[in-house]
Amino acid sequence: MRIVTWILRFASIVTFAAMAFLVYSAMDVNDVWHWAAPYEFVVTVFRLLSLIFFFASIVLLSALVIVFTGANPGTLVTGLYNTLVLRMWYMQPYGVRGPLTNINQVMAQFQGDLERILLSLWDNAFLFLYFLCAGVSIALFLQSLFRMEHKYASGAFVSMQLILILAAFRGHLIPNFEVFPADFLVFLFHPVQILALISFAYLETSYQMIYSHSVGKPVEEREETLRKQLLALRQATRKVDAIERGDKVSLTAMSRSSGATAFSFLREAIERKVVGSKDALENLDAISDVRRLQNYVDDILTSDSRARDELTAKAASPSSGYIIGSTIMGSAIRFLSVVAVSFLLISPSVLTTILNLPIGIQNSVEILQPEMTLLLLVPIALLFPFAAMVITWFSKREVVEEPKLSKEEEEEQKRHKRRIEQLKKEAKEKRRAREKARKEAQKRREHGEEKDEWDKALEETYR
Amino acid sequence: MITQRGFAVVFSGVLLVTSGFVWANFYLTTLGVYLIIGLVVTLPLFALTANIAGIQIDREIDKVKVFSGDFVRVRVTVHNTSRRHFDFIEIWDQYPETWILAIGENFIASRIEPGSSITFSYILQARMRGRYNLGPTDVVMRDRLGLHYYKRTLEAETEILVYPTWKDVRRMEALGKQRQLGLMFGAHRTKIVGMGTDFAGFREYVPGDPFRLIDWKTSAKRGDLVVRQFEQEKNIQVVCMVDTSGSMGNGYPENTKLEYAIRAAVLLTHLGLERKDLVGTCVFSEIVHSYVPPATSPNHMYNVLESLAMASPSGWGDYESAVSYVVEQTRKRSLFIFFTDMEESPAPLLNAMKTIVANGHRAQVISPFGPWFEAPVGQFGPVEKVLSEAVSEELWERRRKISRALAKFNISVVNVGPEDFLPTIIKTYEEAKQRGVAMF
Repeated sequence: MRIVTWILRFASIVTFAAMAFLVYSAMDVNDVWHWAAPYEFVVTVFRLLSLIFFFASIVLLSALVIVFTGANPGTLVTGLYNTLVLRMWYMQPYGVRGPLTNINQVMAQFQGDLERILLSLWDNAFLFLYFLCAGVSIALFLQSLFRMEHKYASGAFVSMQLILILAAFRGHLIPNFEVFPADFLVFLFHPVQILALISFAYLETSYQMIYSHSVGKPVEEREETLRKQLLALRQATRKVDAIERGDKVSLTAMSRSSGATAFSFLREAIERKVVGSKDALENLDAISDVRRLQNYVDDILTSDSRARDELTAKAASPSSGYIIGSTIMGSAIRFLSVVAVSFLLISPSVLTTILNLPIGIQNSVEILQPEMTLLLLVPIALLFPFAAMVITWFSKREVVEEPKLSKEEEEEQKRHKRRIEQLKKEAKEKRRAREKARKEAQKRREHGEEKDEWDKALEETYR
Repeated sequence: MITQRGFAVVFSGVLLVTSGFVWANFYLTTLGVYLIIGLVVTLPLFALTANIAGIQIDREIDKVKVFSGDFVRVRVTVHNTSRRHFDFIEIWDQYPETWILAIGENFIASRIEPGSSITFSYILQARMRGRYNLGPTDVVMRDRLGLHYYKRTLEAETEILVYPTWKDVRRMEALGKQRQLGLMFGAHRTKIVGMGTDFAGFREYVPGDPFRLIDWKTSAKRGDLVVRQFEQEKNIQVVCMVDTSGSMGNGYPENTKLEYAIRAAVLLTHLGLERKDLVGTCVFSEIVHSYVPPATSPNHMYNVLESLAMASPSGWGDYESAVSYVVEQTRKRSLFIFFTDMEESPAPLLNAMKTIVANGHRAQVISPFGPWFEAPVGQFGPVEKVLSEAVSEELWERRRKISRALAKFNISVVNVGPEDFLPTIIKTYEEAKQRGVAMF
């Protein structure tokens, strides 16, 4: 199975690279890939922060100065501006040399700076976000290759597409059909469709890769776990022998080498012996458990030739050839059906043909808008789950089985229950009667009747 | 059923489609439609092919009755009886919570072809006696991309009876072997000197002794007449009265008073069978749950184990009914050993003892003292410590009074904790043998 996973991993890399390249090319026409954009964005953010800090400082300090001294805080404000804004972030206004001394000039400058920085931030933010999305997408893509989890593959896909969504929001040019093609072949080979298809293909191949990994992995892991467990058991038995002989044995060395830390049964048995209990009998149990398990496993492995394969579930591993074949076939069918159905849903020509729309709408500009897709998308998209629901409902596959007891067994259970209840009831009555008799006997004794030894002994217990 | 992952794909699709609408962009719309259609287009096909009812599970175990602490191999075979393959099927075979998975895994995820089967196995260690069920089995079927799933729980369960632990017997045998003192160090057979054929020793000649018993060789060596003595082995009959009232279940799960009582009964039965003594067991609370009369048949041990395996602490202890029930069925003189915490009213216990003594039997009480089986005092805070000490004192005073009352009738009460429970029972048995109590 590993080879299939590697093939699909390669396919995933290729489709991701293709998708990334196409997105890069599509965005390149907008001249957005300025490599200094992230740096500029960060600097702009800090400049904005310095302005905000300056404003907060002058408000606070001016108030304090006025309250405590009654003096004009003009000098303080200009000083702060010169220090926090001009000197620290190099925002010296054009044509002005040296520090500003006039408070009115400072405030006017502050206002101008703020507007300029905010506008600059707006511009830089998008450029920065494109880089951020691309970076996140690549990082998630790499994670998906190694961790084999769907969330990383989906994250890489969504991050990459977010670049185009943000660009659309910003008003940049992104791939688009001027007019949606009426011809399926034109649509199929259109660069816009190819970008969409490759993006979809990336998601498909990544998911197939994860499937291939997860369908083969449990068997491989099982085999590895069993190997470790058997090794750990063998070592534990040797260790137990050594302990009995009185040799000193290191616990940690064994755990690390054999993976016994993941093997709770053994660890418990070993720890009971070595780490700690003072009770020699408990140690004897631990030794006995390990030995018995070893003997049991040895017996199974020698008496049953299939035992090892069953423990590893080797036979459960699907054939690589079949997985490759079914992956190619399944993906091809899915691509074709998705492209064909989507064309039918989006194409205005199909819409007008199928829906027999009024002539006014057919000739309107609205028919050429993407929103028209909704006319067929919603009912058709809901039709599939509905069909699945009907099929499931008819086949009743989710009914949880009830354990079946034969009539005789049910009767027997009921009889047993009734018998126990009856016995309990009788026992309760007898007990009550005995209590009553005991009390009467006590009364008689109190009236001077003779007591036997048992009665006296009982009385003593109540004293 | 659409998985969480499937819903994430739908939301991504909706995001792209609506983005396409907002900016009048066909690329975003097309990609969104691809995602939505890609998710739903295979749904009917999946529902049609995912005939999860076509999955059948067979579970096999190598033993249906095991001792607590023994290992059991569970083989699970998954058959696909349908005509379709399952791309991704997960199978979780459940086992009792208290058991330990020793080797292998109880889970498999794979693909299964039509008409084929997958077999996997794992080894469990059975813990805690009782009747258990292996299963049910959860079967989850997913499509390749993990967007849809169906789940089914196969309720078929495999019953397995777990006898009380055999470790005490093993432990005793191991110690016996180590010390090379036979089966149990310090163990002696009860013998009556004078009869039988086993040579017991010499003693001085007393007028009236038959001449054939004089050992001339030894007499010549000693210079005095000496006769040979012979002995005959006698056996005793013991009945273990195991109290399973609710209070016997207090303590840590594997260290309750009842668990120790059961272990003691198992040990005693084993010792008795080894020495050809008769040991019976009565499990009772407010009713007699089971009674295995004293016997030496080969199946006797298993009968006792089965009755003890099913014992569970509940209700109150009706000593009188239990004793009447057993006494009615016991003709020979017997030693009744009670395993009870004596937390009930003393009157029924004394009455029960009265019945035992009146019928010519002997009795002894091995009484686990509750606080010794529960949380160690060291783990308590100051308030709990004071409370627990007060409760302990109260309980101790109570049982002291009962012990004193019973002692008047030669019935001893031995207070035991987890550490000395089993040694005490061995000692009691040995003493009974040596004193020749309840011989038949």
